[in-house]
Amino acid sequence: MMDCDALWFWFHEAPGITRNTKHKLLKVYENPQMIFGLNEEKLSAYFRGQSNLERFLASRNEEQILNGFDQLEKKNIRFVHMHSTEYPDCFKEISDSPIGFYLKGNMPSFTVPRVAIIGARDCTRYGSEMARFFGRELGKASVQIISGLARGIDGMAHVGALEANAYTIGVLGCGIDGIYPDENYRIFMDMQEKGGILSEYGLGVKPNPGLFPHRNRLISALADGILVVEAMEKSGTFITVDQGLEQGKEIFALPGRLIDVKSRGCNELIRMGAHVVTEVNDILEILRVQNANQMKIADFIDSDSFVHKNLLAPNEKIVYSCLRVEPQYLDEIIAKAQIAPQEVCMALNRLAVIGGAVETTRNYYALKL
Amino acid sequence: MYSRVLSGTLHGVEGRLITVEADVSEGLPMFNMVGVLASEVREASDRVKTALRNSGYQIPPKRITINLSPADIRKEGSAFDLPICVALLAAYGYISMEMLESTLIIGELSLNGEIRSVRGILPIVDFARKMNISKVILPYGNRKEAAVVPEITIYPAKTLSEVVDHLMGTEELSIFPHQIYHADKSKTSVDFSEIKGQQILKRATEIAVAGMHNILFLGPPGAGKSMIAKRMPSIMPKLSYEESMELTKVYSVNGMLDAEDGLICERPFRAPHHSITANALIGGGRNPKPGEISLSHCGILFLDEFLEFPKNVIEMMRQPMEDGVVTISRMQGSYTYPCNFMLVAAMNPCPCGYYPDLSKCRCTGPMIERYLNKLSEPMLDRMDMSIAVKKLQYEELYGEKEEETSEVIRKRIVIAHAVQKRRLQPYDIRYNSQIPEKALEEVCRLGKEERSLRKDIFQQYQLSARGATKIMRVARTIADLDHSENVQCRHMLEALSYRMTDIFQKGSGV
Repeated sequence: MMDCDALWFWFHEAPGITRNTKHKLLKVYENPQMIFGLNEEKLSAYFRGQSNLERFLASRNEEQILNGFDQLEKKNIRFVHMHSTEYPDCFKEISDSPIGFYLKGNMPSFTVPRVAIIGARDCTRYGSEMARFFGRELGKASVQIISGLARGIDGMAHVGALEANAYTIGVLGCGIDGIYPDENYRIFMDMQEKGGILSEYGLGVKPNPGLFPHRNRLISALADGILVVEAMEKSGTFITVDQGLEQGKEIFALPGRLIDVKSRGCNELIRMGAHVVTEVNDILEILRVQNANQMKIADFIDSDSFVHKNLLAPNEKIVYSCLRVEPQYLDEIIAKAQIAPQEVCMALNRLAVIGGAVETTRNYYALKL
Repeated sequence: MYSRVLSGTLHGVEGRLITVEADVSEGLPMFNMVGVLASEVREASDRVKTALRNSGYQIPPKRITINLSPADIRKEGSAFDLPICVALLAAYGYISMEMLESTLIIGELSLNGEIRSVRGILPIVDFARKMNISKVILPYGNRKEAAVVPEITIYPAKTLSEVVDHLMGTEELSIFPHQIYHADKSKTSVDFSEIKGQQILKRATEIAVAGMHNILFLGPPGAGKSMIAKRMPSIMPKLSYEESMELTKVYSVNGMLDAEDGLICERPFRAPHHSITANALIGGGRNPKPGEISLSHCGILFLDEFLEFPKNVIEMMRQPMEDGVVTISRMQGSYTYPCNFMLVAAMNPCPCGYYPDLSKCRCTGPMIERYLNKLSEPMLDRMDMSIAVKKLQYEELYGEKEEETSEVIRKRIVIAHAVQKRRLQPYDIRYNSQIPEKALEEVCRLGKEERSLRKDIFQQYQLSARGATKIMRVARTIADLDHSENVQCRHMLEALSYRMTDIFQKGSGV
């Protein structure tokens, strides 16, 4: 006979049946051992259509189930189900709670505050820098960072948290062993070690647009507060926010410029009553975190200290003052600095080498914060 | 009776002498031609007979044999009409053999006795001079092309009867004077001062030309990539006589010379469309002709929409680019054409072309990656520099700012080229782009500070050995433009802006 965990694993993965129905079955029969033993007659009431039922019955193949379960172990992936000790209370409280989920690394500690940092995938550089900044600074105040390991804001929030050596967990919208998008490969590797990666989906599930909204409910469930860095109106971010509101979480938003399409969602949230965030402290106070020497935004963008610290040459100072957070094309910087192109190139590349500027894409430079 | 006349044909871009022999003997009247002839040469018999009759010369019916020797070379083209005709008249005894001594005769005949111009005159006449031939009779339309060859007397002729009169000594053809090569004659119609703004693009272009570095432009449509490429010949040093000679030969062989032109004194700019075949680009065909890479010899080959060129076509350019010559082998023999050109390629940074302008570009990271993956790695290795181009802003386009003319930039480049030539002489190369890896250390003369910077750069930009080599080559050129004997930190730092590595680098959501 299979052990309890393997049966939960089977029940979680069982095809031909929705999560809702699974919950209904559990309500009646309490655990998967019971359901595994049920005969066709009793089950048929829960199924719509014969083919679904047949698929479900066919999945009750012990060898296959144990095989799959062993594979998880080999890949160092844990399966956590509703009756596991590791299954967090916050998942039980939400509607549509997961039957189980897969985990690499560790679960967050629920005695320490957790903040989800979310936003658009195709964000501006301002957005990605802010996500990194808040990830790092919140991490320093030992807040745990939760996000979705996607392109853009999500990834940068994790990067920030990792920079601060803080715990951070990513909730995936694809299989637990999938790495999507590719460019986040390095972050995936780091997070497995220092934080955690969580997914409701098993081995080999491809990233599919339909899966992402579902994982958002887990992101909001894990967090005490949700920080929206940049989002357009009607984006996936709003699904997370809606679910967060349903679950009674605090919503924070970074204010943006009115003409900025990418900030429109944030401003809309603020209009509807989200907490405005202009300093890291704004979040910490609401979450009642003791803050130790928090960096101010003003310190963050202070250019004088960089100039003093690195003894910049006159030309480099001029060029440095022309840099912005948003990347600019080399020619625009040349036009602003009013010095010869070769001097500007020289200064920019020296700044890039010593860490004052960053080349975001070929020949576009931005201030490094 | 037997007679012989000298003529010439082409082999690649070099001329070869051909002896046209004619024999007239008693027997059944016939016109027999031998000597591995192409069909257009064989057809000469009809043209010759008719042209002679229409010019008023009577040929008694006899057994005529024409031989073109050496008999083992395939002869092509219509240039043998006139020498065959003259040889025939000599064989009949109308023209004395003394008149034909040390005289090269070339020309195509029309049925009414007019002489038409032919292609490939220059290499043939040049070769004749080397073989110590003193006189040449050629079509009037080719006179200017031939007149650039010194030490040989040019007799241009319009009709067959003029030639016959000349050879019979009744009325001499007028000599066409030798033309002296003036590089200054060149006047390009385009100038750098017409490009407004684009300062960094201009700077990069200047460096590229100064070191003959192949360069890649990345930018949206309409940013001015083609515009600047078109103006690159105007800042290159003027063609030397030897270069002009080589180039004119290529054009002569291809029949692309204007009748009124002598030597070509402008550097070529060739911009083939991306639907070009490998043969058209490299050169080829059953009777091999030079391709675009040879037509851009000493000049610029511009490949717009670089990614649209078929990979195999692009990769065929690798060997010729390294050697400076292209060799095409056919059954009849192998032909060598020069192809020392500078490659300028342009491409869009993403499928829609507007990246990183996110207000217009909707391409996702993977889309851009897939797009860039079409680039052929070996081909990118041949490029030393790359630069991003952005569309101009209104102020730049219509600003009052005075821009530098090509002439001013050219002066700087001439100096840089001279410096390079002197320094690189021991290595048997001419330009910084050709510096081999092992010589780089010696040529750049890095100080202690520069070495430590090189280490920093190497680590920060995660350079490959090849990428680092390219940066150092470009830094060497920048130092040359700066009149500096050693490569300094400033030069290396500037070179970083034009580095060829990591054009795959994706911005963090720019």
